[in-house]
Amino acid sequence: MIGPNGAGKTTLVKMLTGIIAPTSGKISVLGYYPNDLKNEFKQQYAVVMGQKSQLFFELTAEDTLRLFKEIYGIPEEEYQKTKNYFINLFDLKDLMNVQVRTLSLGERMKMELIVALLHNPQIIFLDEPTIGLDAVASKQIRSFLKEINEKRGTTIILTSHYMDDIKTLCKRSIVINHGCKIYDGDTEKLFEQYQKNKKITLTFDLPTELPELEYELELIEDSPYKKVMMVSKEKTSELLGWLMKFSPSDISVEEEEIGTIVERIYMEGGRAFA
Amino acid sequence: MINRIKKNSRVIRVLIGLRFQNLMMIRLGFFGPFFVDGSLFLIQLVVFQTIYTEVDRIGTWESGEMILYIGTFSMLNAINMLIYFFGVIGIPDKIKSGEMDLYLTKPISPLLRLSFEKINLGSFPLVIMSAFIIVYGISLGNIQLTVEKIVVYIFWMLIMSILYYDLIVIIRSISFFVISNSNITRVEEAGLELCMQLPGIVFYGVYKFIFYCVLPYGILATIPVQSLLGELKVINAIYGIMVVAVFTVITCVIWKRGIRHYNSASS
Repeated sequence: MIGPNGAGKTTLVKMLTGIIAPTSGKISVLGYYPNDLKNEFKQQYAVVMGQKSQLFFELTAEDTLRLFKEIYGIPEEEYQKTKNYFINLFDLKDLMNVQVRTLSLGERMKMELIVALLHNPQIIFLDEPTIGLDAVASKQIRSFLKEINEKRGTTIILTSHYMDDIKTLCKRSIVINHGCKIYDGDTEKLFEQYQKNKKITLTFDLPTELPELEYELELIEDSPYKKVMMVSKEKTSELLGWLMKFSPSDISVEEEEIGTIVERIYMEGGRAFA
Repeated sequence: MINRIKKNSRVIRVLIGLRFQNLMMIRLGFFGPFFVDGSLFLIQLVVFQTIYTEVDRIGTWESGEMILYIGTFSMLNAINMLIYFFGVIGIPDKIKSGEMDLYLTKPISPLLRLSFEKINLGSFPLVIMSAFIIVYGISLGNIQLTVEKIVVYIFWMLIMSILYYDLIVIIRSISFFVISNSNITRVEEAGLELCMQLPGIVFYGVYKFIFYCVLPYGILATIPVQSLLGELKVINAIYGIMVVAVFTVITCVIWKRGIRHYNSASS
């Protein structure tokens, strides 16, 4: 689920998990009305909120797992098997008996995922799971989620602001803005149709002036040592080839931000709505 | 049903274990409540000593009965502090901060988890101190005990612990519906303070209605003490049971409606 801040992504996750009740309309998850808060329903899903922790900070992750084993009524043998599977997958063997408060944000998120996945849920709701994580930790989390989805068949419903999360993990995307669904369909198609530009950032060791550019682009920053420009994705490689003549010390090419894409879909009235 | 009880017992056992580990990490948290409550307890005793140097009796009770009353109220309070108080008082904050989200998504009663997750072993010495005061009151008042009276007294203590729990939960659950419940907690504090010092037998008229029906702190320790003294009438016993039943139903209704009314908080 994609959308700018305040779009209603987290609210939707809260409705899907029964935390809050919808003010109108109908909602059904796995055949249950979530806000009935039935234990049989809660037994079949898990939720991880990037900004809310279910770990006991003063204790170890092992302690939290022990409590969740009892809450979900997991038999000892199954508990050990699942726990060890995730410990190996996340490579956390040495951290299970460490006080949670001393763990890094990335390590803590991995622990949160183990806690959530311990009872082998059918669906896992992830609300911005990579928020605040560095590139390496985010990549690891994404690869673990992919493996869980493929090997254990767990359905992942994810909200994120990060392009990489969505492109790596989601086949289907739903774009939300102001509580309304403005796109629901294939992720690749979404980006193909609505991601029109790329942002190129060049840095130079020496003061550099670019000649009159032959390309249609938007120059965002133009200082002697740094140039930032937005160009259509079709023209990106051609422009890069031309820019190489000025011997930049560093080049980065970034995707457009999700907010811009959402804005474009919204402006175009969600024509690609599947 | 039996499976549910078994599961809840296992969860409570783990929660107690975790809480014990947690308290041992923060030693002040372990002993803090003991010093705070112990001080309040001693202040209350000093107040009664002062009162009884001036008067012979409060209502129909003399100093022995009154000390038994103080011990009984303190015991109820100590049980409350030991088991559920520190968990339940956190409910309004959990509602405001949105932390309740994580309790609602787990297949166990959120209220059960909240009630038992902050058991405070630091309050255990208060139970012992209260027991000493009860014994002292019995000996000072020359109260004749029988096994039957003791069993009935323990029964009433258990019943009144449930009523105490109900009252605390109801007041905290109001936070599901309003922005702040600080005014009602002030009423609770004032009511408790008054009823800790005055037994229910001294209330008449509107005060009796308030402390027997609306905020029934007046019967919390009065009924168990009356049962031990052999003064409890059948009609009062039935009334006591009815009050506990009604308030337990109200607690369940308010809590269940509350969690459905919960709005969470923005992240």
